[in-house]
Amino acid sequence: MTITRSAAPARRPSGRRPTASRRPSGRRLAPYAFVLPFVVLFLAFGVYPLIYTFRLSFTSWSGSGPAQWVGWDNYTYLLGSDAFWSSLADSAVLWLLIVPAQVVIALIAAVLLNNAKLRMRGFYRTVALVPFVTPLVAMAQIWIVVFDADYGAVNRLLGAAGLPQLDWLTSTTWAKPTLALLFLWKTTGFAIVILLSGLQSIPASVYEAAELDGASRTRQLVSITVPLVRRVVLFLVVMQTLAVFQMFAEPYVVTGGGPYGSTTTAGLYLYEHLGRSDLGTGSANSFLLVALVMLISLLFVRLLRERD
Amino acid sequence: MRRASRPAIGSHVFLIVLTAAFLAPVVWAVLSSLKEPATIITDPLGVDPGSFTLGNYRAMFEDVPIGSGFLNTAIVLVLKGGLTLFFAPLAGFAFAKYRFAGQNVIFGAVLLTLMLPTIVLVVPLLLQMRELGWVNTYQALVLPGAVDAFAIFWMRQVIAAVPDELLDAARVDGCGEFRIYVSIVLPVIRPGLAGLAVLTVMNIYNDFVWPVVVTSQESMQTLQVVLATLAQNITGNRIGADFATVWGELLAASSIALIPLLVVFVLLQRHFINGILAGSVKG
Amino acid sequence: MKRTQLRRRAVAAAAGLTAVVLAACGPDVSSGPESGGTGTGPSEGTLAAPDTDAPSGEITIWDRSGDLFEVFDGVIERFNERYPDIVVHHEAVDIDTKLPTTLVAGADVPDGVFLDDAKVAGLSDHFYDLSAVLEPYLGDIAAQKAEVNTVDGRIYGVPWDLNPGLLYYRADILDEAGIDPASIETYDDLFAAAEQLKAARPDAAPIHLEKEPFLGQLWLEMFASQLGTSLADEDGELRLDSPEYLQILTWLDEVNKAGLGTRAEYLGPADLATLESGQQVFVPWAIWWDFAPQQLLPQTTGQWRAMPLPAWTDGGARSGAMGGSSFVIPRDGQNPELAWLFYEFLVFDPEGFQAVYGPNAIYPDGLNTSVPSYAPAADPATPLFGPLAALGGQDLWPVAIEAGEQIPGGTPIPSWWAGAVDYLGDNLQRMFDGELTPEQVIAESTEQIQTNLVDRAS
Repeated sequence: MTITRSAAPARRPSGRRPTASRRPSGRRLAPYAFVLPFVVLFLAFGVYPLIYTFRLSFTSWSGSGPAQWVGWDNYTYLLGSDAFWSSLADSAVLWLLIVPAQVVIALIAAVLLNNAKLRMRGFYRTVALVPFVTPLVAMAQIWIVVFDADYGAVNRLLGAAGLPQLDWLTSTTWAKPTLALLFLWKTTGFAIVILLSGLQSIPASVYEAAELDGASRTRQLVSITVPLVRRVVLFLVVMQTLAVFQMFAEPYVVTGGGPYGSTTTAGLYLYEHLGRSDLGTGSANSFLLVALVMLISLLFVRLLRERD
Repeated sequence: MRRASRPAIGSHVFLIVLTAAFLAPVVWAVLSSLKEPATIITDPLGVDPGSFTLGNYRAMFEDVPIGSGFLNTAIVLVLKGGLTLFFAPLAGFAFAKYRFAGQNVIFGAVLLTLMLPTIVLVVPLLLQMRELGWVNTYQALVLPGAVDAFAIFWMRQVIAAVPDELLDAARVDGCGEFRIYVSIVLPVIRPGLAGLAVLTVMNIYNDFVWPVVVTSQESMQTLQVVLATLAQNITGNRIGADFATVWGELLAASSIALIPLLVVFVLLQRHFINGILAGSVKG
Repeated sequence: MKRTQLRRRAVAAAAGLTAVVLAACGPDVSSGPESGGTGTGPSEGTLAAPDTDAPSGEITIWDRSGDLFEVFDGVIERFNERYPDIVVHHEAVDIDTKLPTTLVAGADVPDGVFLDDAKVAGLSDHFYDLSAVLEPYLGDIAAQKAEVNTVDGRIYGVPWDLNPGLLYYRADILDEAGIDPASIETYDDLFAAAEQLKAARPDAAPIHLEKEPFLGQLWLEMFASQLGTSLADEDGELRLDSPEYLQILTWLDEVNKAGLGTRAEYLGPADLATLESGQQVFVPWAIWWDFAPQQLLPQTTGQWRAMPLPAWTDGGARSGAMGGSSFVIPRDGQNPELAWLFYEFLVFDPEGFQAVYGPNAIYPDGLNTSVPSYAPAADPATPLFGPLAALGGQDLWPVAIEAGEQIPGGTPIPSWWAGAVDYLGDNLQRMFDGELTPEQVIAESTEQIQTNLVDRAS
């Protein structure tokens, strides 16, 4: 949450102790011991499998018997395959459906909840986090039931209100929005609290000054609040972007990637290679995704920097 | 807390609508799980407390190994959560309060892990587990992904806010570095730790793709995996099971799975929210 | 943290990682996938029968949970009377999702697995070649079943059930409309009968049209099987672009466009509702559809009957195969020879197949959702299961056996069959949606299957 703070790392004890040699050896070795558990796990279950995938991505292998070296075949196949690109496109569409809406809703809610005079503030804040602490798979199952076209509560509600009933999970038009709703429902409360943490760091004096200048509420939101929390917002956007591109359990449980592959996200498409025992293509797909995620992350890091 | 004006009616309307939306699916699921299976389908919106029954729960417990799912999840939670809650702040401490050769590279590794989607490592990790003979074991469920990178990242920020004077004073008293971590740092960052605890419990409880892949034996499956195969199990185990019955049991299982986290959250929510807010205020 | 720092660190980490990668990729070949398998090449993976008189050990057998699990469970006792020293651990598993990962994981792999015929070839790298042990029985196994388990001349599954396609119909409704079921000999006849029913009852959409892509493709293959063709020939060459497929798709398209079909997912809620209401009257489906009137259609049970499928041409075959399962023996299992003994008993031993198909706790009149593919078990004169009350007391056995005998051979299942569902299975549904013409279904699916599956399979 506090990627937004920049002051902290600058304050190091070494500032007051110019040379390392004067430090007792325990203090010199301690940090290595402290990061050791992470490093060991990182090498064992991060680096090693990454290398493994990298090698595997140049082979054709079903997981049994000898692997066959195929060079760049898996990569050229994926880059020329409609299914690969449409899995990325599906994720991109979900991103569009989720992230902008979430930022707007969470920002409004956070601004409202930042008002000390708001009644039941604690209640709202707690309830907002309830979806966040529900188990995802359980909620995904509930989504299936609630959004069923024939017997689901949502369509009954729409029917009762005289509105058209929709094929939420069985039409290519609505399946993605329905999954997006699940994601929004599940994580917006958390987004609100993150933004709230950013808002609370804005000194009250800034608003008081604006108030004296006669700036309207909306005006204050646009010209004071938004610029000041921009970095928290960007942080949220980065986190949610990574999360959307990793989205797996939602389509796996709710739609199985259908109808017509319209909810086969990047993550689910990757998993399908495993189901077909096509590990070489799966590994190449993994690497392409890693590259993509790195690219997006660097892009955001740049964005964050430019706004500094 | 700083702005003086009273919120307008519109604000309340917005928040109330949002709150209702947040609560509705959970409330609906729990209430529906208490209904007769047939009425879940014929009247999904009706609520009649008089006719509530535990039948769906009874049937679900018969058909689904949800008990072993809970047990496995609990074991993984304790082990993996313990590792993360102890070692992630420790690494965060190293990054925040020491300067050492290779620090940048190692912190870069943390950032890299942070960005790496879990799903891309599933296949190679599975093959690795096979070489280690760890398929269907607790160590396979616990070790990959333990000492979470995000937790390190977060704790680094939280610990950076701990005054150096505090640590130096302890050193003057002859405290070893590890002692400082255990008896000074950990107590001071308790609010942040509480936040981290909730987040970690959440993540582990919800972990899905890795447990699905690495546990083929029912006895090793975590709650989420059990839940995900539920509908299939129920339809399979009862010949001619009809749709309504399946839904009833599904809702019962989902409702039960909601409870532990909600309890943890309600108990720790103050710390959790304050923990998230904490990092910000102190930066 | 400063952004420049952040980036510098990420770059440093990447550099370090690259160094590690290069180092590890040098001499360390043994940890790679090349040595990751069982060490036995495909040619060595041929199973032989155990050479002892008193085989002993433990086997783990996976079956799909549900009725068949219960049925097979009941046979284990009989098996143990024959082989008292073999302990069978019988597990109900969601095979479709669990088997692929378990095979790759290579640990706790079951000794025997019940698997859809459509999926055997796709995973055959992981299974034993059973040619040697099946040799004595091959002459008596239905040609279609042997073919679907064969990849490159090796047989990877113990062929189990035969699933002839039948035409299920509502006897009461046809009677009322004055339609003699025996007069429906071709698909044109069926079309005409459906029109007649619709004329009498406007809300009727008498013919079932499958909506689920996987089953839809399986269903399409039933029609194709009638015409002696399938998605690929024995050399794995795609042969979707043929007059046979065009004829079938055109007929299905016309049924749909004329409003004579009900699109529904097999035994889903909408399907059940329209079957009960009389909106659906004809269900051209594999024999296993009879599960529905026995278990899921309380209002119309007893009104349904089965007859051979109509023919595509005058005098053409009156049945085709749809689905079916076989038993595979994974190479990473502990006691494959013992698993073979179990399946040999189940499929080829009179005591075994009588126990499976005969009356049991689950099916009091016998297991009637398929017929054996092994000729000595499929004798028209000696039924293994009795008449079905759900079919108004009809004796399904001879109907199904005779239909089974009509199924043409020459219809192997390619290894990529299940993968084709993303293309052909989906495109068939798009045709029903009105987005594609039959010609487009063929052209697009052919192109997609060729580039994404056939060309990648080599």
